[in-house]
Amino acid sequence: MWSGMRQLQNRLLLILTAGLCMAQSSTEYLTPAVRRVGEKLACLCGACKNTVASCQMLGCHYAGPAREKIAKMLAAGMSDQAIIDEFVRKEGLRALAVPPLEGFNLLGWVMPFVAIGIGLAGIYLFIRRFHKPAVASAPTDAALLDKYHEQIEKDLAKLD
Amino acid sequence: MENLGSLAILLALCLSGYAILASLVGKWRDKPLLVLSAERAVYGIWALLTIASGILVYSLITGDFRLAYVAGHSNRAMPVFFKFAAWWGGMEGSLLLWAWILSSYSALVVFTNRFRFRDMMPYVVAILMAVQCFFLLLISFPENPFQVLAVGKGITEVPDGNGLNPLLQYWAMVIHPPMLYLGYVGFVVPFAFAMGSLITRQPGDAWIHTTRRWTILTWGFQSAGILLGAGWAYAVLGWGGYWGWDPVENASLLPWITATAFLHSVMMQEKKGMMKVWNMVLISATFFLCIFGTFLTRSGIVGSVHAFAQSPIGKYFVAFLAIGIAATIYLILDRLDYLKSEAHLESVLSRESSFLFNNLILLASCFAVLWGTIFPVISEAVTGEKISVDAPFYNRVNVPIGLFLLFLTGVGPLIAWRRSSIESLKKAFLWPSLLGLSVMAALLIAGVRHFYALMSFGLCAFVLATILMEFWKGSRAIAAKTGQNLLLAAVELTHRNTRRYGGYIVHMAIVFMFIGFTGSAFNLDSTNEVRVGDKFSIGRYELKVRDLLDGDNDNYAWRRAVIDVYIGGRQVATLNPEQRVYKASRQSTSEVSIRRRLNEDLYLNFAGVTNDGRNLAIIQSYVFPLVSWIWIGFVTLLFGTAICLIPSKVKMQYARTEVVGYVERHAAVTK
Repeated sequence: MWSGMRQLQNRLLLILTAGLCMAQSSTEYLTPAVRRVGEKLACLCGACKNTVASCQMLGCHYAGPAREKIAKMLAAGMSDQAIIDEFVRKEGLRALAVPPLEGFNLLGWVMPFVAIGIGLAGIYLFIRRFHKPAVASAPTDAALLDKYHEQIEKDLAKLD
Repeated sequence: MENLGSLAILLALCLSGYAILASLVGKWRDKPLLVLSAERAVYGIWALLTIASGILVYSLITGDFRLAYVAGHSNRAMPVFFKFAAWWGGMEGSLLLWAWILSSYSALVVFTNRFRFRDMMPYVVAILMAVQCFFLLLISFPENPFQVLAVGKGITEVPDGNGLNPLLQYWAMVIHPPMLYLGYVGFVVPFAFAMGSLITRQPGDAWIHTTRRWTILTWGFQSAGILLGAGWAYAVLGWGGYWGWDPVENASLLPWITATAFLHSVMMQEKKGMMKVWNMVLISATFFLCIFGTFLTRSGIVGSVHAFAQSPIGKYFVAFLAIGIAATIYLILDRLDYLKSEAHLESVLSRESSFLFNNLILLASCFAVLWGTIFPVISEAVTGEKISVDAPFYNRVNVPIGLFLLFLTGVGPLIAWRRSSIESLKKAFLWPSLLGLSVMAALLIAGVRHFYALMSFGLCAFVLATILMEFWKGSRAIAAKTGQNLLLAAVELTHRNTRRYGGYIVHMAIVFMFIGFTGSAFNLDSTNEVRVGDKFSIGRYELKVRDLLDGDNDNYAWRRAVIDVYIGGRQVATLNPEQRVYKASRQSTSEVSIRRRLNEDLYLNFAGVTNDGRNLAIIQSYVFPLVSWIWIGFVTLLFGTAICLIPSKVKMQYARTEVVGYVERHAAVTK
C-alpha cells in the first residue's frame, strides 16, 4: 500500500516536473527558412552561446518562442532582414549572434586579424634582427675531394 | 569539527606568510636554517590543508548538514562517489581543492629539489607560497567552506541538503574539475621556476630542464580536463554539443593554447639559446591566464552557464592579477640583458621559422578567443549597449586559424633545423601533398561541397602522411640495422627519442580531433513526438518505440524509452534514452543513449512529454558523423603525452653549434 502510494507520488512528480519543464509544441520545430533566419540571431536564454536556430535545449524559454515568431513573420511575408531588424528593435544589438559590422563593434572583427598582422610584423623584425646570411659552400676541387674520400676509405679499412 | 577545519586553514595561511618571509629573509641575510624552515613550512601547509580537506569530505559523506556548504551541495540519497565529488561542486570547496593541490605540488617541488638549486629555491618557494597565500586568504575569509548554517537563527537541525547539481552527477564530471585544477595549478610551478631563474640570473636553462616534465604533465592534465568536459557536455546536456564557446570553457582553453606555444618555443631555447624573453612571456601568460580563468568562473563578470554564483571575490583576483603582472613585466624588462639570444637564424626556411609561425598562429587563436570572451564587456563599457558574441563569431575567426595551424603541424616536422633546401622540401612534401590533394579530389567527386570540410580533410591526410613518413623512415633505418620487424623498430625508434616521437603521436591526436570536429559540418537532427509502436527515421536509421517505462529510486524518478534501431530493415541496436527528475533539487536531466561507431554516432535524447493532453514522448534524435574521432584523439593525446614523459633511451645533446663563417684554405691531408 505504502509503496504503491510512493510510486504514484513519484509518477506524479515525473509527469508534473517533466511536463512543465520540458514540454513543447510542434511550432518550435525548425523549418529550413526559420533555420536560415535563426542562424543570425542569438539565443538569449543566458545558458548557452548558440543561435536561435542551433539552440537544442528543448523548452528553451527564448529560442522556442523566437522560432515561432520567425515562422509567423515569414508566413506574413516579411523578408529575412526585416525580421532581424524587428528582433534588434525589441532586444537591442544583443539579439544578433555576432557583433554588427559597424561603429565600435567593427573592432570585434578586426582585432584578431590586427593581432595576426602585428605578429607577422614581429616575426619579420625577429628575422631581420637575428637572421645571418646563409654560409655559402666552399668551392671544392674534385681531385682534392677524391683524395679525402680515399683517406676516409683507408681509415675505415683500418677500423675493420 | 568545523572549527578544526577553519583553524587548519587559518594556520596554513599563517604558515604561507611565514614561508614567504623566511625564504626571502633567509636568502638575503644568508641564513640557510631560515630557508630550511620555510621549506618545512611548505610541508606543514600540505598537512594542514589535507586535514581541512579531509574534514570537509568527511562532513559531506556523513551528511553534516549544519555546514552551509554540505547542505548546499550534498544530500542523503546521493551515492558516496558524488558526495566525494561535492568537494569541488561549489565555490568554497573548489577553492579548497585549488589550495590543496597547490600545497601538494609545492611539497613535491621542495622535496625533489631539496639538494638542488639552493640559490634559486628560496625565490621559487616564495612565489609558490605567495600564490598559496592568496588562495588561503580567500578560503579563510570570504569563501570559508566551514561556515555553519543559520548560526543564531534558531535552526538546530537541517534534515537534508539540496544535493549536487544533477548535471554534475556524471562520472566524467567527477574527474573533469580535478583534472582541470591539476592543470591550472600545475602551471604555477614552471612559472615560479622561471621567475626564480630570472631573479637569480641562473646561468643556462636550468629552469626549463627542471620544469620540462612538470609542464608536459600539467599540459596533459589540462588537455584531459578540457576533453573530459567536452565528453561530459556531449553525453549529458542532451544535444550532442561538446564545445559551446562558453566564457568558462574559453577560460580553460586560453592557458592551454599558450602552454602549447610554450612547449614548442622552448625547444628553440634548448637547442639554439633563442627566444628566451618570449619563453618567459609565454609561461607567465599561461600562469596569469590560469588565474584569469579562475577569476572568470567566480566573479560573474561574464554570463556563463558554468559560473559559480556571483561573489565579491572578483576584486581580490583583479588585485592579484594586477600586482602579479606588473611585477613580472618589471622583472623581465629589468633582466633583458640576461635573456639575450645566443644564436642567429641561419635561414628563413628552417624549423626555427616554422616554430615562429606556429607560435604566431597559436597566439592569434588565443587572442581571438580571449577577445571574443571579453569583447561584450568592452563594447558595453564603450557604447553602453549589450552585444552578443556567440558561436558563429568564434567559428568564423578560429576555423581558418585552426586549419592553418593544422597545416603547420604537418610542415614543421619536415623542415630541418638550421636550414632546409628547396630540393629537400620538394622531396619531403611530395607524397603527403599528393595524398592530401587526392583526398580532397575524392571527396569532391563524392559530392562534398563544404569548403572548410574539404580543406580540413585534405590537411588531415597531409599531416597524417608526414607523421607516418617520419615513423616509417626512422623505423626502416633501425630495422635495416638491427634486423627487427618494422613494428618493433618503431617502438625502438620512439624509445630512443621519446619527446620527439611522443610529440608526433600528440600531433596525430590533433589530426584525429580535427577529423571529429569536421564531421560536425554534416550533423543531422530531428525531433519527434511518439507513443509505443510509433516509427520514425533519421539518416539511414529507422527507429521504432518498443516501450515507455518509468520508475524511481531514493535519488531520482525516471522515465525511459526503449527504442529499436534498424538499418535497411535489420535491427542493429536497442537504445534506452532516459529522463530523470532528482527529488531533492526538483531538477530534470537527460541520460542520452548513444550508438557509437567510427563513422557516426546515433544519439537519442528523451526530452520530455507533450503537455497538450496527448502525453506523447518527445525524442530528439541526432546523427553525428565522425564524432568518435574526437575521443580517439583524446586517448591518443594522453598516450603521446605519456610517451613524452618517459626518459629517452638515447640522451640527446643539443650542442648549440652555429656556422660562423668558412675558411677557403684547404687542410693538408696527411698520409
